[in-house]
Amino acid sequence: MTALSYSYYPGCSLHASASEYDISTREVCSALGIALEEIPDWICCGATPAHNVDELLSLSLSAKNLELAEQMEGNRDMAVACASCFSRLKFAQHIMEKSEDKRKLVEKAIDAPVSLDRKVKHLLEILARDFGLEKLASFVKKPLSDLTVACYYGCLLTRPADVPNLDCPEAPTIMESIMKVIGAETVPWTHRLECCGANFTLSRPPVVQQLSNAVLDSAKAAGADCIVVACPLCHGNLDIRQKEIEGIYSTDYGLPIFYLTQLVGLALGISFEKLGLDALIVSPQKLLKQKKLI
Amino acid sequence: MKKKKMLISQQTMDVDMVRKVEKLSGTSVRRCFQCGKCSAGCPMATFMEHPPNRIVRLLQLGQWQRILAGRSIWYCVSCETCTTRCPNQVDLASIMDALRKLSWDQDGPSKESYVQLANKLFLQNIRTYGRQYEMRLAAVFNVKSGQFLKDMMLGPKLLSKGKLKVFHQKNRNIAEVEKIFSRIEEMRRKGEAL
Ligand code: SF4
Ligand code: SF4
Repeated sequence: MTALSYSYYPGCSLHASASEYDISTREVCSALGIALEEIPDWICCGATPAHNVDELLSLSLSAKNLELAEQMEGNRDMAVACASCFSRLKFAQHIMEKSEDKRKLVEKAIDAPVSLDRKVKHLLEILARDFGLEKLASFVKKPLSDLTVACYYGCLLTRPADVPNLDCPEAPTIMESIMKVIGAETVPWTHRLECCGANFTLSRPPVVQQLSNAVLDSAKAAGADCIVVACPLCHGNLDIRQKEIEGIYSTDYGLPIFYLTQLVGLALGISFEKLGLDALIVSPQKLLKQKKLI
Repeated sequence: MKKKKMLISQQTMDVDMVRKVEKLSGTSVRRCFQCGKCSAGCPMATFMEHPPNRIVRLLQLGQWQRILAGRSIWYCVSCETCTTRCPNQVDLASIMDALRKLSWDQDGPSKESYVQLANKLFLQNIRTYGRQYEMRLAAVFNVKSGQFLKDMMLGPKLLSKGKLKVFHQKNRNIAEVEKIFSRIEEMRRKGEAL
């Protein structure tokens, strides 16, 4: 088999508040021999604000990035780690495939033909399907046995069914399957597909506090030691805001929130620092020491 | 919101707007049979005066102004639950997008302008820098919304963790981004796009 190779779209969050997701993604991929080449001078996908108020703009920004990836050598699929960017890029492909009219408008806006040949893939499917669970298992050096994880999908990884095409929108299992391979225990829980409040974090913090509190509460009640996510927005709301939420609701969760790649990286034997684990606001030190993982 | 009797007449109906919503969202409001599944799963329904199924009903009845008078569309967080669960393929999340766009075009900032303001600043950031800089976004939002201290507690902590980028990186596609924005403006001026 030839080695896997992708063009890589990190997106704005991974270059800023979620840099540990970027760092750990690169570390994990390099440990597994998956080549990622960052798309040169990629631009913001527009995220939720653009499609909220201007679909054409949103489609055009995504189409521009698809075009930039197209121009790279090697006819590769595009790897995306951020659930929000992933969703926007998949939506753009989906809508332009469905509607000739909209595709023409976008082509006019970016002044280039739109090609929909390259697949956009989330890291989850790259690890679980392209690379493969069995092969991933053979790379595990330090199984995370004894660690109980709540897998949190949130909104954009699976919904709506025909757009991300990643897994079942009501009962996905892809994240759990990866966690099992690296030796962790996963719990069934009620809020793994509920919304955390997402980008209302800037404009309506009380909404985010309420919704994210419900997520944290459910994970804790299910007996999880920690939550694993694949989205920088979910991470920001659950990790950065956790202390403030504990204050408002007079409770104590103390749940470290890991990026998918941070836990996979630990199991592959990559060091604490290299995975950016010290950047987490809810420190995972105590938990990981207790479970003899660091 | 105060309960008001709803009057439906030629005067309160605006079918043109509903057609625009359908065109922009690529979905038909007439498919809806009011089962309520969308609202049952909507995480924001409790914050809305018209939950998602009622928004569709109001559209079926052409009650465009009634929708805009409320705050519901600005409380939708785009979680896609409604679209995923609708048994009749009504793409409600896209309808919400279309409503926000038409509202924005027609009325500009509304009483729910915090969300609009955040969205607008976000887009301005893209236009200027090609990418998003959260620090700048948060700072400008705080100044413009007058909510200075909102998340100040989080700022220093994030900075010390290296989580906020303060400096802009050079991006060779900035001129391209500006062109995309202005081409779209141009297309709208000429009536080629909604
Ligand atoms: S789920 Fe679909 S059919 Fe049911 S009320 Fe909502 S929009 Fe109408
Ligand atoms: S997309 Fe909006 S309207 Fe639909 S369920 Fe989510 S918050 Fe509610």
